[in-house]
Amino acid sequence: MKKILIVDDEQDIVESLKFVLEAADFTCYCAYNGEDGLRLAKEIIPDLIILDVMMPKINGYKISRLLKYDAKYKNIPILMVTARTQEEDKLIGEETGADEYITKPFELDEVVKKVEEYLK
Amino acid sequence: MIKILLVSEDNKNIEKFSGIFSKNSYDFSVMSDETLIFDVISADPPDVILIDATMPNLKNFNKKIKSICENTVIIFLINSQKIDKELIKYANAFFTDEMQEDFILSTININLRMKNSLDMLSNSNKDLADSLYRLNALYSTSSQFAGTLDKAKLIQYMIEGMDKALSFSLTCTLSMCNGDEPVLILNSLYELSEELVEALKLRTILNYNSVFEGKEAPVKINGENLKIIKQVKYPASRFTFNLFQFDNMFAPIRLGETFFGCIEIFKETSFTPEDATCFQTIAQQVSVPLKSAALYQEIIETNAKLQKLERLKSEFISIVSHELRTPLTSIKNSLDILISGRCGEITPSADKFLSMAMRNVQRLSGIINDLLDLSKIEAGKMEFNFAPANINTVIDYVKSALSEVAKSKGLTIVTDEAENIPDITADSQRLEQVLTNLVSNAIKFTPENKTIKISSSLVNSKDIKINEYFKDTIELADSDYVQVCVEDQGIGIAEKDLLHAFDKFAQIENSLSRKAGGTGLGLPIAKQLLEAHNGAIWCDSELNKGSKFYFVIPASNILSTV
Repeated sequence: MKKILIVDDEQDIVESLKFVLEAADFTCYCAYNGEDGLRLAKEIIPDLIILDVMMPKINGYKISRLLKYDAKYKNIPILMVTARTQEEDKLIGEETGADEYITKPFELDEVVKKVEEYLK
Repeated sequence: MIKILLVSEDNKNIEKFSGIFSKNSYDFSVMSDETLIFDVISADPPDVILIDATMPNLKNFNKKIKSICENTVIIFLINSQKIDKELIKYANAFFTDEMQEDFILSTININLRMKNSLDMLSNSNKDLADSLYRLNALYSTSSQFAGTLDKAKLIQYMIEGMDKALSFSLTCTLSMCNGDEPVLILNSLYELSEELVEALKLRTILNYNSVFEGKEAPVKINGENLKIIKQVKYPASRFTFNLFQFDNMFAPIRLGETFFGCIEIFKETSFTPEDATCFQTIAQQVSVPLKSAALYQEIIETNAKLQKLERLKSEFISIVSHELRTPLTSIKNSLDILISGRCGEITPSADKFLSMAMRNVQRLSGIINDLLDLSKIEAGKMEFNFAPANINTVIDYVKSALSEVAKSKGLTIVTDEAENIPDITADSQRLEQVLTNLVSNAIKFTPENKTIKISSSLVNSKDIKINEYFKDTIELADSDYVQVCVEDQGIGIAEKDLLHAFDKFAQIENSLSRKAGGTGLGLPIAKQLLEAHNGAIWCDSELNKGSKFYFVIPASNILSTV
């Protein structure tokens, strides 16, 4: 079974994503802040990461950059979840290496579809 | 009385001339030591000097006398016909021993008349030079005034200008550059004693209060709140005079109509009427630039406040939309899961309410997107991807995207696309947003079984008909435009509301539109997006018959493509 890491400080969002992804036969790992997310990513080496942008301690962009510039993890697809605020838009111009951006609020089914596409 | 000085050791000469001059009531004196002459004449310049040319130390003598009293008549006493060339250069006349009294007196008189004319000329010259100097000082002060918008600098330039034009010993300037904080600038040649500073302080407060003629001054000034700034030119020396020994002048400094400060100026010698005019002129001249400086400062402050507000607004919208989106995402996700039936079967009435919740989540999400878009456009932060785009492709996309929604309301969307439409430079995603908004509105406000028509055409600006409500606000260049029209058979817009159709939140006022849903931000966003394309939007409408929304974009648009 494919492993998916969900990193978001919003527990409710993690919960709903986990629910639909598990229903689609994925194994989900969850982290509720950037630090745990980065640690878990390196520990379990997931097949795909769903990553929130605005998080305490380490934000999503930073995690994405750290993983994408590391040969060991650079092939893990990253779906970045953004609330599309001006602050985030400013950051989006920077090179983060994320494979896909998903705008909040998103369609759960669409996320599942995207995940399946990447893990075909 | 006319002063005549004889420089000679020869008793014969002394006797002769004292005889002639005392008889004719001249003020006559004799000096027999030529080396002392300069001290004597600089202390009390004579009108005529008679010099014995046989005296030994006459080298450079004439030149020196001329430099001390330039118009003095110099006559040499000679005893031969041979005259030294050096003497000729400065001499007005020569007397020989043979000359008689009448000749001597008439020669002196002619020369005295000449001296008088020369004196007058010298005086006018000096006055002229003075005036020119003063004018220059005034001119350079005015130029300095024109060159700054800083109140403190203006006051400093005023004091410097007065120093140049009037060469004062001491000025006392009271100014209020920082609102209610009075400052006393003491600009002085020499160091001031503490008693003198104290006296000047009291004097200035009296002067200040006298400006208001017994009425209460707007800012109370006392010994405590008056800040002193001392500027001393030669701090090594000290003023030993007391104030009563100085001549003084006083003038208020105004900032437009209001009082800004006052200046008092002191000098050890007397001021002339010209000094007074010059002083008043400079004190008045500073009033206008002070006013400009005050206005400028106001503009800067307002601008800073506005910028802060603008920043707060953007930050506010950014934070609010982030904070709203996150819980909204959770609600939406939960509804998604429930509606999908993954948590168990849903009864028809539960489904009805879940769908209702879902619809409103989507509506809320739309409002947040619109608000973000609008705030971005208004802050000039909206980014456009300008590239070649075809308007018919945009129409096809919107038609296919909204056909289902239209069908569910029993409406049909038809298109009428002109074939001769060129590609335009535009952000096609933004055009899709505009057209989607117009067609969604048409769907919202059109009753069942009617048709919505989207058409495109290439028109020249002179063939574009804009109705009276919009023609004053829309300016089109003299060229070809690509025009799109969305025509519905809906409820229409009342005449009085037509002009406000593109105002923010205009439709929220309207209860019908509230029932129909919508934020009232769609049209203002469309307007702004089109304006970013150098285009325009307007509408024709008839109540209960339907509306036609038109928008145009220049066929050859010069926009920087990404």
